[in-house]
Amino acid sequence: MSGYDFENLKVLVVDDSRPMRSLINSFLHGFGVKDMFEAADADEAYKEVKALNPDIVITDWRMPPTDGLDLVKNIRMDMDSPNPYLPVIMLTGFTELHRVKQARDAGVTAFLAKPISAAALYRRLCTVIDDQRPFVRVGKFFGPDRRAKNRSDQYMGVERRRGH
Amino acid sequence: MADKPQEIQPPNRLTKKVRKTGGPAPDKAILRALNAAEDLIDSYQGWAVDDLTALWKAYEDHRAESGSAKEILTMFEIAHGIRGEGGSFGFQLISTIGDSLCKFLEGKKALNAAGSEVIKVHILAMRAVFRQNLKGPQPAMERDLRQLLTLLRQKVR
Repeated sequence: MSGYDFENLKVLVVDDSRPMRSLINSFLHGFGVKDMFEAADADEAYKEVKALNPDIVITDWRMPPTDGLDLVKNIRMDMDSPNPYLPVIMLTGFTELHRVKQARDAGVTAFLAKPISAAALYRRLCTVIDDQRPFVRVGKFFGPDRRAKNRSDQYMGVERRRGH
Repeated sequence: MADKPQEIQPPNRLTKKVRKTGGPAPDKAILRALNAAEDLIDSYQGWAVDDLTALWKAYEDHRAESGSAKEILTMFEIAHGIRGEGGSFGFQLISTIGDSLCKFLEGKKALNAAGSEVIKVHILAMRAVFRQNLKGPQPAMERDLRQLLTLLRQKVR
């Protein structure tokens, strides 16, 4: 049985902890990813996004003075962003529900709680590749559809969203 | 007037770049990842000692400054890093203790003497974990420790 071939994937890893960046890169290397890049903060990361145009970004949240949410907002909203649909995995020790909602509302594609494991990172990569949901632009929000998967296909009732 | 939501189907770049077959089977890929990270995982304790030293210094600075908000924030940030890293590098108990310390410190602007003792208990617990090399899954100890630290935090809000 064979699995995903990540050989052609280009991944940017963003974390202010060098050991954590090294760990994630080691895991990615084991999965077969060959092109891995790093940044230690959100500003440096966004410069790398513009220069490298990666396929996936894996970013920490808390990286003073700016943070992972600032990076996501730049990727999604900045006029110079090379790919506003860029998949972003938020990897963070913040796991409270209000934090997950905050990340989702910033336009994060997927959320992965620290401490991480190789198995969890592998599964999350596969999920992001398989589940490419549509994007929604409404008000100040632009990002992956925040509703549960397939909900819009199954809902049979009155459409109550504003604008309908 | 409320904005009408606009739904956009983005270009499917990842599916073009990632074949779903041809790579190692998931179990093999994960094992390779663990092997690739082995040396790094073995080195973690060295870095963690530096983090604990910084945390202890922040704790002592906080006591000297009668518990200023700046030192509390510093301790929170170090603990936040520790809770994310500990279990990632094989020390789940470190993440458990770090998480408890973060929950205690988050949002606090001042601490009394009892609050300082709570911090000290957490730091000493982390030191004990490293000293006894309590690596790998420790589910029963983790559960008991989490319960104990929760009770401690509740007693000293």
